[in-house]
Amino acid sequence: MRDIAERALDAAGAAGAAYADCRVVERTTQAVMVKNGRVNNVTEFEDAGVGIRVIVDGAWGFCGTQRTDAAGLEGAARLAVRIARASARTAVATVRLAPAPAVTATYATPVRIDPFSVSLDRKIELLLAADAAMDVAGVTTRLGSLGAVRRHQLFASSEGSRITQTIIETGGGLDATATAEGEVQSRSFPNSFGRQQVTAGWEAVEEMDLPGNGRRIAEEAVALLSADLCPAGTMTLILDATQAALQVHESCGHPTELDRVLGFEAAYAGTSFLMPDMLGKFRYGSEAVTISADATSAGGLGTFGYDDEGVAAQRTLLIDQGIFTGYLTSRETAAGFDAPSGGTVRAESWNRLPLIRMTNINLEPGTSSLEEMIATTERGVYLETNRSWSIDDRRLNFQFGTQVGWEIRDGRRARLIRNPLYSGSTPRFWNSCDAVAGPSEWRMYGVINCGKGEPGQVMHVGHGAAPCRFRDVEVRPA
Amino acid sequence: MSSELRTREQLLAIADRIIDRTPAGTEAEVTVTETATALTRFANSAIHQSVADRALRLRLRVVRGGRSGVAEMQVVGDGAEAALARSAEAIRAHSPQGEPVHPIPPDGGADIEHGYSEVTEAVTPEERAEAVAGICAAADSLGQKAFGTYETAVTGVAMVSTTGLHRAARSSVAELIAVCRGGDGSAYGARHSAAASSIDVAALTAEVTDRCARNQGAVATEPGVYEVVLSPYAVGEMLQYLGLVGLGGLAVLEQRSFMRFGERLMSESVTLTDDVRRPEAAPLPFDGEGATTRPVRIIEHGVCTGVVHDSVTAARAGVETTGHSLPQPNSDGPFPRYLSLAGGDSDVDSMVAACQRGLLVTRLWYVRPVHPLRTIITGMTRDGTFLIERGRVVRPVRDLRFTQSIVEALSEVRSIGSEQLSTRGYFGATLAPWLHLGRFAFSS
Repeated sequence: MRDIAERALDAAGAAGAAYADCRVVERTTQAVMVKNGRVNNVTEFEDAGVGIRVIVDGAWGFCGTQRTDAAGLEGAARLAVRIARASARTAVATVRLAPAPAVTATYATPVRIDPFSVSLDRKIELLLAADAAMDVAGVTTRLGSLGAVRRHQLFASSEGSRITQTIIETGGGLDATATAEGEVQSRSFPNSFGRQQVTAGWEAVEEMDLPGNGRRIAEEAVALLSADLCPAGTMTLILDATQAALQVHESCGHPTELDRVLGFEAAYAGTSFLMPDMLGKFRYGSEAVTISADATSAGGLGTFGYDDEGVAAQRTLLIDQGIFTGYLTSRETAAGFDAPSGGTVRAESWNRLPLIRMTNINLEPGTSSLEEMIATTERGVYLETNRSWSIDDRRLNFQFGTQVGWEIRDGRRARLIRNPLYSGSTPRFWNSCDAVAGPSEWRMYGVINCGKGEPGQVMHVGHGAAPCRFRDVEVRPA
Repeated sequence: MSSELRTREQLLAIADRIIDRTPAGTEAEVTVTETATALTRFANSAIHQSVADRALRLRLRVVRGGRSGVAEMQVVGDGAEAALARSAEAIRAHSPQGEPVHPIPPDGGADIEHGYSEVTEAVTPEERAEAVAGICAAADSLGQKAFGTYETAVTGVAMVSTTGLHRAARSSVAELIAVCRGGDGSAYGARHSAAASSIDVAALTAEVTDRCARNQGAVATEPGVYEVVLSPYAVGEMLQYLGLVGLGGLAVLEQRSFMRFGERLMSESVTLTDDVRRPEAAPLPFDGEGATTRPVRIIEHGVCTGVVHDSVTAARAGVETTGHSLPQPNSDGPFPRYLSLAGGDSDVDSMVAACQRGLLVTRLWYVRPVHPLRTIITGMTRDGTFLIERGRVVRPVRDLRFTQSIVEALSEVRSIGSEQLSTRGYFGATLAPWLHLGRFAFSS
């Protein structure tokens, strides 16, 4: 890897780059899926290549190549430089990078059991056991999946950084779907849309106890078919930690991406309502709301040693006791604020340009508990596990649906309810938050389908979250 | 680095070599895909990101003794093909016996390249920058700022199997997306084609800058149920989600689809087909298991008539595959590849004139299924929403959230435009006209 990186940097310099960095990436992904008692799919995917990024004439250029021979690297470097020169024709300002120290370092995800060392037999046996647990009358589709990712990468820059990292991800999940005339209901565990995934080893899957949760979610899916519809009205809303994590993702993580604020994503992902003149002043949420970007959190999908610009992992407060205090930044965007980079730049793989991405955007634990929140709620709903999500391009107007809910009456969890939706506007919603559960209920969750950028990049990001409560929220059935 | 793709013969030769590495008595299917993508992004009337990459991806599926294994590699160099064969066989050997999906035999379909252009493959970074510079200059001259992308991509795919499959084809797409922003409002427009030379940059620029000028100073309007005049961008997005939630054979088999064959669920003017033979689709002529993709009549005059199939759902349903498979095996089932809503005899001006009070919607954004069986989706309007009163567009309005059943919306069709526009979205491309609907629910 080292030789490849040195050749790529030399080639970029020779082609005229004022600055160059490259990432040499080798990635292995394994997916195992069981459906309705049978192995549906076992796939291994290996991916390797080099991404070369340059600044020439004050503009960026990027080229990704699988070829690691001298001619291939030189060709890619020359194309990156040519692209940068072409881009410079429209430049209205030259790219400036916030200073970052040159670093020589290594980092590896701490794992107890390498997920790639666990036999396929063991993985299939686990999923078949969970599948059998979900096999209850009324369930028509049972899905179980396991995933593992190993990403070995060398980052090298013309400023002298040489950083080697090995990131390991492991995940698993279950889905049970029940159908009846005119209705389809699904329940997932531990999270919806694929699986729960973390940077850790196979021990993370063992701790999930997938077989032990299969029957419960299957029975809940069946019960939902005949459950009453979610009530409509303005009421107290309590979210489980998984839905709270996605709420943070959409309404805090994305709007604090500084590239969105500067218009870089205006034609696609959108912009943000959090403008720079609001920093340090704007009341984003109540005093119960503190949200950090923390690439050092244990187990998060945004946990690493250094980002894809060679900036060290760090913790930044985005929202401090309700006040908007920080952005997710890159070296380029931070330079505009005469600040150092927050170290939040990542690329999906070798053939994609690094962008500002969420690391672990964490809702810091509070002092309450789910039990206490329910006990002190007269009328409301408690909702679990995301089913649908949508938010406008400035990250204000949102609507979420969850798989399941329970009505709360006089401090007690009452009847099961189906098809719940809630909606709101971001600052008003977070200002209505009056309780967040404490550390004992705080968990790290993974989102494995965060899309951004063109060409599209799907990033894995983390969210630490705990159950939390909101007052006066619009709730209704789908 | 040359952007030229390998020829079809070269891709087939790679696939043949991989087949030769599989053990005797093994059923095997190889897919070799090469893509070269170049994309220039602009924001605030300047290029801020511009990239290129080329990747060769190998996929091998082996079946023997009731066991199946799949391996994929996006790696080049000595040993990659042998490693792929070893990996697939190792996975197969460790998989339990079951009823694996077998590679299909050839169906005699021709590898006609309906959507490939050498012109697109030859577009240079300088040419992309020049086109972008023109849009930026036009926007700047009107006090607007330009944002968007200019992408060119070419793909070559070869599929070979031990069952006799031996086919290859290429496709290309050039797409220009422009968003212009003024002081208090924005507008969107996009064009794509297999041939970059077919994109009318000037027309797109005029469309977007004009819409941006008209979409300044939007005022709030109350949510509620409105008549709507939807642009082809919005209609295309809606059709994509209809395909996602209900037009695949597996969704029907698993009772997740709204389709009730033989019943009229939509207005009589609605006829929906899937046909990748149209050049705007930039299609490959075959699907993820090598079956020729055939046209499918999905809705005829409002009546549910068909869904798309792969070999697995077709066998369960007792029909022939329509050639809409994802790579097998998979748990998602087949999906439409290029939905087309048949044009009518109207146009946007006539639709507006016929609307007493409604909204003209340019674009839908962040659409997500809320209740797939009932085809309820939610999302936002974006980049140009206008109030219509007494047959005239009277002012821009702030964006609204809609929560609406697609099937119910298409059961209230007032008129359909005669011209169709090919639009691309997250799930592929569609061919859509302007559409005047009687009811569309905006919730906030």
